[in-house]
This record gives sequence, C-alpha cells and structure tokens, in this order.
Amino acid sequence: MSAAASPAPNAVTAAPRRMPVWWMILPALTLLTGFLLLPYASIVVMSFREASTSAVYGPGLTLGHYTEIVTDSFVWGIVWRTLRTGLIVTVVTLLLGYPVAYHLARSRSRWTSLLYICVISPLLVGLVVRTFAWLIILSNSGLANTALKWAGLIGRPIIFLNSSLGVTIALVHVFLPFVILPLLGNLQAINPEVAMAARSLGASRARTFFKVTLPLSMPGIQAGAILVFVLSISAYVTPAMLGGSQGRTMAVLVVQYLVDNFRWPAGAALAIFMAAITVSIIALYLRLTARAMRRLP
Amino acid sequence: MTTLRLDTINKFYGAQHILKDIDLDIREGEFISLLGPSGCGKTTTLRCIAGFESVSGGKILFGSRDMTHAMPEHRDLGMVFQSYALFPHMTVAENLSFGLEVRKVSPSERARRIAAVLEMVRLTGYDGRYPRELSGGQQQRVALARALVIEPSVLLLDEPLANLDASLRDDMRFFIRDLQQRVGITTIYVTHDQSEAMVMSDRIVVMNHGVIEQCGPPREIYEKPASQMVAGFIGQSNSLAGEVIGREGNVYVIETQDGKLKSLGRDGLTGAVRVMIRPENIENAAAENTLSGKVVKSTYLGDGCLVAVETPSGSRFTTTMPADSALAAGDPVTLGFAARKAWAFSA
Repeated sequence: MSAAASPAPNAVTAAPRRMPVWWMILPALTLLTGFLLLPYASIVVMSFREASTSAVYGPGLTLGHYTEIVTDSFVWGIVWRTLRTGLIVTVVTLLLGYPVAYHLARSRSRWTSLLYICVISPLLVGLVVRTFAWLIILSNSGLANTALKWAGLIGRPIIFLNSSLGVTIALVHVFLPFVILPLLGNLQAINPEVAMAARSLGASRARTFFKVTLPLSMPGIQAGAILVFVLSISAYVTPAMLGGSQGRTMAVLVVQYLVDNFRWPAGAALAIFMAAITVSIIALYLRLTARAMRRLP
Repeated sequence: MTTLRLDTINKFYGAQHILKDIDLDIREGEFISLLGPSGCGKTTTLRCIAGFESVSGGKILFGSRDMTHAMPEHRDLGMVFQSYALFPHMTVAENLSFGLEVRKVSPSERARRIAAVLEMVRLTGYDGRYPRELSGGQQQRVALARALVIEPSVLLLDEPLANLDASLRDDMRFFIRDLQQRVGITTIYVTHDQSEAMVMSDRIVVMNHGVIEQCGPPREIYEKPASQMVAGFIGQSNSLAGEVIGREGNVYVIETQDGKLKSLGRDGLTGAVRVMIRPENIENAAAENTLSGKVVKSTYLGDGCLVAVETPSGSRFTTTMPADSALAAGDPVTLGFAARKAWAFSA
C-alpha cells in the first residue's frame, strides 16, 4: 500500500479496535473440538453401549456399566484412595512451595535465579526417566531406605513402592512447580509496603503473615491448588510405575479396564464417572474459596 | 524535650556508604522534613527510624529508650507510605481497627476512636468502603487516619503526596500541617519537594549524598544556606565565586572577578566563598553592591520579565524585572542588591 493511500495516522491506530478478531481463536478452537470435545463425546456414547466380545462395543444401549461402578465397593475404594492421594499431594506441595515462592518473590539475591532453575527442574526431566529414578531411590534396598537405616532411624525398610506413599512423594516432587509459579506471580504483585504497614501498626511477623500476606495470596493458593489436585488425581505414569496394586488410582484402573480387560464401554463409564467426581469437587472448591476471596480486589 | 534522637547513624549497603554520621535531635511536637534529591538517604533514614532498615552504626533513641535494634512493631510509630499501603482486603474501618486490635483496645473504645479519627480526616461515613472504592486523596487520608488512630509517639510520612495530582497536593499540605498542629504529634516528613518542606515544616533537614547539609527553620534554610547545594536546591538563586578579604561589622567584603561585594555570612568565614543572591532581591539600579552586565535573554512572564544577565567574567544571573522594563538581548544593565540581602558560604 502506498503512503498516499493510507488513512490518517489516528485512523490507523483506531482501525484494529473495530476489526473483529474472533477468527484468531479458530485454530485453538478447532484443535479443542477435534481432539478433546469429539473424543469426549464418543466416550460418553461408548459408556452407554452394551459390552461385546467381537467388537469394541455392542449395538444396544444400557445404564448397566454405571450401576455396576457405583455399586462396586472396590471402585469406591480406589476413588477414595485417588482423592486422598490428590489431597495430600496438594496440601504438601502448598506447604513446601509457599516458603519457596515467598522467598523468590522477596529476595534480591543473585542466587535467586539458581533457585528458580531448581524450582522448575522437575519439569526438565522426562516423566519416565524421573519415575525410574524414584523407583531406584524408593525400593526396599534403595537409596532412601539405606540412608535411613544407616542413620539408625529405621530398623526395617519403609515400604515406599507398591503403595500410595511412593506415589505421593513422586507426585509432590513433580508438581511443586505448579504451586510455586502461580504463587510467585501472586506474591510479587503484593505491595511489600502493605506488610510493612502492618508491622508499623504493631503486628508481629506472624500476625502480619496470617492477617495480611496470606489472605492477599489466596488467588495464588487457589490456582496452584486446583492445578496440582487435578494433575494428581489424573496422573497415570507415576501411580502405574510406583503404585503397584496397593497404590492403584482411578487413571490406572481405567487403563486396566480398556487395555488389559478390553472392556471399553465399562472403562468409558469409569472415565466419565471419574470426570464427574473431579468436576463436582472443583465446583465445590471454587464455591468455598470464592467466599474466602470475595473481599479481594 | 527531645522525643527522638539520631546519634551518628551510619548505614552501609555492601561497600556503599548510604548514611554518614547522621545526627539529629527532634523535639516533642516538632514537624521535621527530610528534604533532598532522590538517593540522598532521606528514605533510608526514615526506614532506619521505623526499624525496616538496620543501622550499621550509631544509636536511635526514643526519649531515653535505646530503640536502635527494636523490631518495627515495638517502636510505637505511625507510618504513612508513598503507596498508602492500605490493606486491600479490609474496609476502611477494618484498616483503622487493625492497629487497635493488636493493642487489645476494647471494641467500644475502638469504635469511638475510629469514628473520631474519621471525622478528623473528614471521612465520616466511609467506614464500610474498601480502599479500591476510594479516590487517591481519600486513600491518603485513610492511611493518615490509620497511622494516627493508634496514637503513636512519632508520625513518619514517606513522600505521602507524591502520587496525588498537583491541586490536591497543595490542599493536602495544609491539611496535614493543620492536623499535625491539632494533634500535636512529633512528625518526620520525607519529601523531595522543597515547597512542600517550606510550607509544612518547623525545621528542614537538607540531605545530600548521605550527609546532612543543613538543618534549620525554613526561613534560615532559604535565606542563609550553608552550601551551594542547599542554595541551589531550595528556590531560585544566583551565586558568584570570590574570596573573603575583610569584614566591616557583620558584613564581609568579598573580592570577585566582577568587583568587590559586601555580603552577610555566618561567623568565621575565610578563604574561598560563594556569594548568593536570590532573584527577588536584585534591583535594576545602583545599590550597596552593583554588578554590570549584558542582557542575554529576556522572557515575558505577564507579571514581569525573567531576565538573564551575564557579567564580564562570564557569570550568569537571573532576575525578575517589571514587565515594562523592555530590555532586549545585548542591552547593558546594572544590577544592584543590598549587602543584607546577600549571603556568603564556603565554596
């Protein structure tokens, strides 16, 4: 376009605002529809199909898989274990991650960038490799047990593997960055003078933290907690490799239904059942935390 | 009576010497301004008093109590921050209540004091508002009220007006000064705005590069600056280098490249000095001291002309003259000023 044909400068800056930009979300929307919504829809449909021995599913429709699942105490046991593991991982990562995020947000030391790299380091190692490393560390004659025995803290080895304990430890390790990063952003946005004002008004460090800093960092806590909880209860590789039968979670059970037992409709129903539980818990969590945050700007 | 004493305070950040031998006695009920360009150490001084910075040497005394190493929460200070630092998740009443709850003041007494202080800052009826629902000026007054409601022994203000627009800033100067007078609280006010310091303070402490250049009442700072830095930082000034060659009574005789000048100065002045004359004290006529020069530039201001004059030695003077003086660049001019309107200090 020649310079003479271009509109006045102020029109140039005003023009993009009037242009519709909805098409810019099309690629992402296509991807989501094609690879998330459609498969989900097909799983929903599959979950109502009858089982078949000759095909993936039979032609008839049934609610049988769902009634079977909700009346199976074995499934409920695994649901409970999955949620409990998710909850413990979430609480532990928050407790471990908060001080790190706080330190990163307030420190002006040049070592901060090194700590930052340490924080995201779990994400820089491949999932399977990382889990194998945990397998070596947590086995009965592994590094952890040897060290504890050598220090005289334990007589018999702690059973980390084939239980929820090892799964919890490995998940805490890998999901720590997911609470630290949102919290870091949140804490950095809090004006440090606000905490100073509380101190000048006579509040101790502890009172300042619980009355001022902690309430103001609720959005970061909420975001980090949701991320870690959802990722923990849907994790597959870690519980599959470290959990064995005693640390089995819902994700492992679903894959077992689909791949090992070739029960596609029942596995689909189990997956939908789990998704429904997850969504209800998050909805409840958001309602509860929204009350805690209603005073925040 | 001394409320607060800084005794040879020194502060280092690594190898950087931020505060150098700061000595200051602040009397009960006094309004003191710490004035200086950014990086002069005024905010660091305030934060040392508040306990947010540790001192590397020296003592901070509140009355007779040594508070040098006390925690901020044990110093009994009220502080107003540049960003106001209101608690965003609390209403105005809760913000004010915070310091009272820490002090275990009873709920009925809290309510009484909050109502009283809100009336004092003219915010009655704003109890239930959140800080985000208030204008900048209102937030400022809440910050002030929050610091005052705990009835501290000293009030610290860290550039509280810097974020307000100009017209509001002028009102708030008088508002804060008036409030301080009514409450009678000892106040330390940090600012880089010399006119703020002039109108509000009992005494001004001019700081530069971590040292106190001068400490005194506004009139003394303005009329009898201790150094070129003070003279240049406060108001408009002209100055001329020279040497003391004698004294007649309380008037120094100073030899400059543009002739002999007579000037006041503090006792004991010798050697190389600078003579300072404020523009408003220069007349376009012969007086005790005269300087001849040429007009370099004349700017019409409406109520007068701002005239820049260069002396034969190359020194520049600015002065205001009547609007009808009709001077143009290149015109010869004679500047006159009284010896008692000139002030000499060590160069």
